[in-house]
Amino acid sequence: MKLAGLKSIEDAHDESVWAVTWVPATDSRPALLLTGSLDETVRLWQPDELVNRGKMTGHCLGVASVAAHPSGYIAASASLDSFVRVFDVDSNSTIASLEAPPSEVWQLRFNPQGNMLAAAGGGSASVKVWDTSTWNLVATLSIPRPEGTKPADKSSSKKFVLSVAWSPDGRRIACGSMDGTVSVFDTDRGKFLHHLEGHCMPVRSLVFSPAEPRLLFTGSDDQHVHMYDAEGKTQVGSMSGHNGWVLSVDASTDGAAIATGSSDRTVKLWDIGMKAAVQTMSNHNDQVWGVAFRPGGMPGRLASVSDDKSISLYDYS
Amino acid sequence: MPESEKQEKECELRRLEESIQDHPDDPSLRFELGVLLWEECGEKEKAAEQFVVAAKLNPGIEKGGAFRYLGLYYAGLDSQSHSQRALKCLQKAASLNPDDSIAGEALCDLLDQQGKESLEVAVCREASQNSPRAFWAFQRLGYLQLHQNKCSEAVHSLQHAIRGYPTSPILWEALGLAYQRLGRFTAALKSYGRAIELEGTRIFALIESGNIYLMLGSFKKGVETFQQALEFSPKSVSAHYGLSSGLLGLAKECINLGAFKWGASVLEEASKVAWMSTHLAGNMSSIWKLHGDILLTYAKCYPWMEVDRGLEFDAEAFNNSILSWKHTCCVAAKTARCSYQRALHLAPWQANAYSDIAVTSDFIYSLDKSSGHDSSSWQPSEKMALGALLLEGDNSEFWVGLGCLSNHNALKQHALIRGLQLNVSLAVAWAFLGKLYRKQGEKQFARQAFDYARSIDPSLALPWAGMSADFHSRESAADEAYESCLRAVQILPLAEFQTGLAKLALLSGHLSSSQVFGAIRQAMQRAPHYPECHNLNGLVSEAQSNYQSAAVSYRLARCAIINLSSSDTKSHMKDITVNLARALCKAGNTLDALQECEYLKKEGFLDVEASQIYAFSLWQLGQTDLALTVARNLAESVSTMEQASAAAAVILFSRFQYYISGLDSTINNILQMPKQRFRSSKFSLIVSAIHALDQRNQLKSVGFSIHNNLKTPEEITEMFFLLALGTLVKHGSEYRLGYRRGIDHLRKSLHMYPNSSLLRNLLGYLLLSSEEWNNTHMASRCCGLGTDPFKGGFKLSYEILGAGAVACYAVGNSNPKFSYPTCTYQCLNEPGAIQQLQKCLRQEPWNQNVRYLLVLNLVQKAREERFPRHLCIILRRLIIVALSDEFYHKPGMSIRYQKFQLLLCASEICLHDGYLIDCINHAKDASMIMLPDAYLFFAHLLLCRAYASEGDAVNLQREYIRCLELRTDCHIGWLCLKFMESRYGLETGLDTLELSFKEFTKEQKNSSNMWMALFNLVQGLMSIWSKDTYSAEGFLSQACSLAGAESTLLLCHGATCMELSRQGDASQFLSLAARSLTKAQEVSLIPLPIVSALLAQVGGSLGSKEKWEKNLRLEWPTWPPETRPAELFFQMHLLARQSKASSDTTNIELWQSPLRWILQAIHTNPSCMRYWKALQKLVE
Repeated sequence: MKLAGLKSIEDAHDESVWAVTWVPATDSRPALLLTGSLDETVRLWQPDELVNRGKMTGHCLGVASVAAHPSGYIAASASLDSFVRVFDVDSNSTIASLEAPPSEVWQLRFNPQGNMLAAAGGGSASVKVWDTSTWNLVATLSIPRPEGTKPADKSSSKKFVLSVAWSPDGRRIACGSMDGTVSVFDTDRGKFLHHLEGHCMPVRSLVFSPAEPRLLFTGSDDQHVHMYDAEGKTQVGSMSGHNGWVLSVDASTDGAAIATGSSDRTVKLWDIGMKAAVQTMSNHNDQVWGVAFRPGGMPGRLASVSDDKSISLYDYS
Repeated sequence: MPESEKQEKECELRRLEESIQDHPDDPSLRFELGVLLWEECGEKEKAAEQFVVAAKLNPGIEKGGAFRYLGLYYAGLDSQSHSQRALKCLQKAASLNPDDSIAGEALCDLLDQQGKESLEVAVCREASQNSPRAFWAFQRLGYLQLHQNKCSEAVHSLQHAIRGYPTSPILWEALGLAYQRLGRFTAALKSYGRAIELEGTRIFALIESGNIYLMLGSFKKGVETFQQALEFSPKSVSAHYGLSSGLLGLAKECINLGAFKWGASVLEEASKVAWMSTHLAGNMSSIWKLHGDILLTYAKCYPWMEVDRGLEFDAEAFNNSILSWKHTCCVAAKTARCSYQRALHLAPWQANAYSDIAVTSDFIYSLDKSSGHDSSSWQPSEKMALGALLLEGDNSEFWVGLGCLSNHNALKQHALIRGLQLNVSLAVAWAFLGKLYRKQGEKQFARQAFDYARSIDPSLALPWAGMSADFHSRESAADEAYESCLRAVQILPLAEFQTGLAKLALLSGHLSSSQVFGAIRQAMQRAPHYPECHNLNGLVSEAQSNYQSAAVSYRLARCAIINLSSSDTKSHMKDITVNLARALCKAGNTLDALQECEYLKKEGFLDVEASQIYAFSLWQLGQTDLALTVARNLAESVSTMEQASAAAAVILFSRFQYYISGLDSTINNILQMPKQRFRSSKFSLIVSAIHALDQRNQLKSVGFSIHNNLKTPEEITEMFFLLALGTLVKHGSEYRLGYRRGIDHLRKSLHMYPNSSLLRNLLGYLLLSSEEWNNTHMASRCCGLGTDPFKGGFKLSYEILGAGAVACYAVGNSNPKFSYPTCTYQCLNEPGAIQQLQKCLRQEPWNQNVRYLLVLNLVQKAREERFPRHLCIILRRLIIVALSDEFYHKPGMSIRYQKFQLLLCASEICLHDGYLIDCINHAKDASMIMLPDAYLFFAHLLLCRAYASEGDAVNLQREYIRCLELRTDCHIGWLCLKFMESRYGLETGLDTLELSFKEFTKEQKNSSNMWMALFNLVQGLMSIWSKDTYSAEGFLSQACSLAGAESTLLLCHGATCMELSRQGDASQFLSLAARSLTKAQEVSLIPLPIVSALLAQVGGSLGSKEKWEKNLRLEWPTWPPETRPAELFFQMHLLARQSKASSDTTNIELWQSPLRWILQAIHTNPSCMRYWKALQKLVE
């Protein structure tokens, strides 16, 4: 397996690019790339030439996260003030504005079935779930307090939830926290299942393997990428090689590889079988905040976005 | 290794091996061999064998040296069992010799590797307890204790270790860290300093000492330290961070002083450094936060700089400059917000990042209202403030932040009270609560809240400002409010406070204070888009009499108000335009002022003040009728105005009427006015002034009501002043004011108000102007120079003093070297006047009046002292300086007159110095000046003198005729002319001359006799020149009878009579002479010389030896020693010879023998034969 650079756009945004996701292809168009940036805009790009397909405004602070509905028609973006804007990808019309108390929306993810939108609840130490038909908040999955702390204890004991991921079957949600723990919830029952331990610093990104529903990849500030058996509550692998925080992790459709972006300004491709990095891309010259594999079939595409305001597109084979 | 050494070693080895074979049980030999093998040959295994044997034989050999080597050996072998063995060996070695640093260190390293920290501590502690010289143990212990955060123990250990290794920078560094952790910062700084001294590149010590400096608030030193660190470690993140935060601290200090530009430039540097550090460590949220802090501070302090516009005004440039200023601020703030967002994105669990973004968003919103998002009911700033609270709900400061940033009053109040619940002594919260209450109109609560805030933290600016803004509701005076606002401004130079201060200064009359000036200038830098800021700046400039720039400021204010889309702009616009018109008017730019007034009129804004300005500018531009109409309209609408402006309107109208329509119509108008108008003291004074000018006394009826309206002593003295002037006018003739009555009147007034310098100076002035004989001295005396000679009235006391001193005709010089003082009024203050004038000139070197008076006084002095060289030089220089001044190019009668006088002085000095051409030129220049003939007369008189001394008879005659044509009312001029006439035998116009002289003399009552006497004196002198002694005697006796007791005239008369008696008619004239001379002797101020000598002669001639002797003795002391004439000595010789018989030794002549006297006489004048003969006779 290997990556080959296809296209890179310098100054794709006016400021650092913080979030990236693929909008799946629809009948009328191919899959598009959606990026969110500190310049308060969300932009759409068409591969492989990365043609700018539109600029969406409506946030008054930097966009920290973007998510695309599996149908490919709807996307959501969240800014630092926890304002979530759900919009139609093609017309850019606002479908819904979801407001949460500031600091309580971080990473956004639609479930693979498309009827739920989950958000890492930041300071609320929970994962918020919205129904995508009514856009009502349907669940708040809270991480239980550690034993021995009283409810009266304020924020200090709370876990700040940074990241969230759906299992491919949509039955599990995993979320990563600032203290390095990963919590797993049962979505059907809305219940907390268990913690996955092993990281000692914030877990900024996690993703389930598309091929193996139990397998969870996590990237953390402690420079490691861990593999967990999310059901079995065990760590099944640890990969290191980054020289800085691992800011973003994504798994390829076939589940054979993962890509990571790091604050050491590199993008690494990891072979799951070998549990080792097979390739390091260092075309960015600032920290890489997001990596995203294109869902669906061949040819594989990987996009990465960085603080240096650029977007890069790679061929994955 | 050289061959020989190798051989030597091998020899040694062999020798040892041999001796061991001989003595296999000698441990020391085995040890020696071991060491040799270990150190020199590197055969450690063989060596170890020897050490084992040696240790077995004698465990204590070389203080455990064998165990040390063994331990090192085993430690070198890398395996579990060996390391155990190594541990044991080294422990043994260390216990045997605690000072053994190699064994100790090795042991500790080994334990460290195995993670046995407590064991390590125990080993070190034991060693340190066993031997005070086990420095390695102290060092190790110190490090370990520091690591375990037992700082006070670490300090002891490290200090002990430093005794052993005083030059170890690491130890010093560790000691510094221990002190720092204990909070003993100065000690820490010293230790770090020592470390840096020992090794200049100790980055840790540099950075930590920099951090301590920053913490202690000495940012300058901190910045230097970090810069030093960056020099050899340019990639150090901590150094970058420290440097930029140090610069930020420095900039904040500058900004708190109000030095925005300075602060901004420091911040620019800081942001560069911070930006660099974000490249080095882009994923540290604190760096981004610092970068945000720096840029936000920059946005908040970046000053608006005035466009370099001179006094021109350019609206477009102004608007552009404001736009670009706003843009710069906005860009900086937005960049700051981006940096804060990065910080938040990196560490979203940190609550303060939210509040930072909140504050910045609020600031951006305040700068740039257009970018606000109205779509959501929550402003981003409010939302982010809530975000901080969600994370840390128990932080009272976040509650205060929410309270400040929220737009909902209820929420504000709730948040602030919540903050106070968490921390009741939070002064900021109280202050903002007070502000909130004030806005809601709850003054009582507001005051309480501010009071709490102020008592908790008096160094907080807001409560002070709040207290000052509140002053309407309380009884406290505007002064108190001003003081309190000044305090706020001094604590925090915020534009809002500063404009408030200027407003309060306007109300309390502090507008011209320099603090207000500085404050409003600073406010302009930070709030150039507020029209009130420019308006107040204009008012401040106006208060400092800088009308040009005031006008420019008002224009800027008007420009700013146009940009401001507010509801209440109309009335503000009116106020500013009125201000502008007034400033323009004051600056002398009447045309523009008129334009502004007409604009106001068109808009219907012409209020009382504007109308006044309108009328005034119309009048200035010569449109008198219109001006009068405006003023009349204004005066007619008086009933609707408040009192002060009503009075002003009436005054303006009356003055215009006087200037435009004349006295009579003004008086008629005043007579028709209702009585209550006179209640205004200023108007009363105007009425009195008009009354004073009126010779027909038509306003007498209103006079009494005026008197009752004046309250303060100043006003009353002013009234008396006007009354005195009125007396002058009313009792004067067409050409001459009634000085006598005026003086009498003033004397009475001065009796009531003896301290009024106004009245005193006027009296002095009148005394001088009356030109009466002796009044000049009274003038100088009545206006004594106080502490400040430049105060009071329209004639200043120094002017009167200076003029009075030159006005006296008599010789005032008391130095007998030159002359004898003849002034009966003891005019001894003349040198005093010169000194006073010099003092004045030193105080105000630019004051041409003082310079002029000084020149005149000096010329007077020069005349009296017969034009000494040094004085002439000084005078010529002074006159040149004075004449070259611009002052004398201005128009104006008095200035021309001064120039004329200066030229005459220059001319006279030149005449005496012998520069005749210069003299004539100056005099000719003087004669060209446009002045009344009576003054020009003197220029021609001087020309006469110059031509006379040149011997140019033609010109002399011409100038003489010119003088006669011009005529003067100054007697001395006529006398001089008369003198010239007879001296140079000019064509006589004697009749006209004499007639004119008598004509002018008649007008003055007191001194006319004196002048006639002088005229007679001159005639008498001329008769003497023409050898007509008889008629001379006639003139002189007439002079004596006219002048009364004037000793010099009497002397002249006496001498003439003596001459006549010598010529013949002895008896008759002798008695006349005796009478005159005796009288002269009696009345003279100080004994005049010659008088007594002549009297002695008279006595002698009448045969009275006694009288002769007495008078001759009286003569002696009248002469100063250096001027005694030969004849005096001769006479004394005669006296000495006569009185030889009587042996009264008290007499002067008996001081020395007659021979001595005659010799002295001959010595003084050797050319007189009489003395020689007398000598001959004496010798015989």
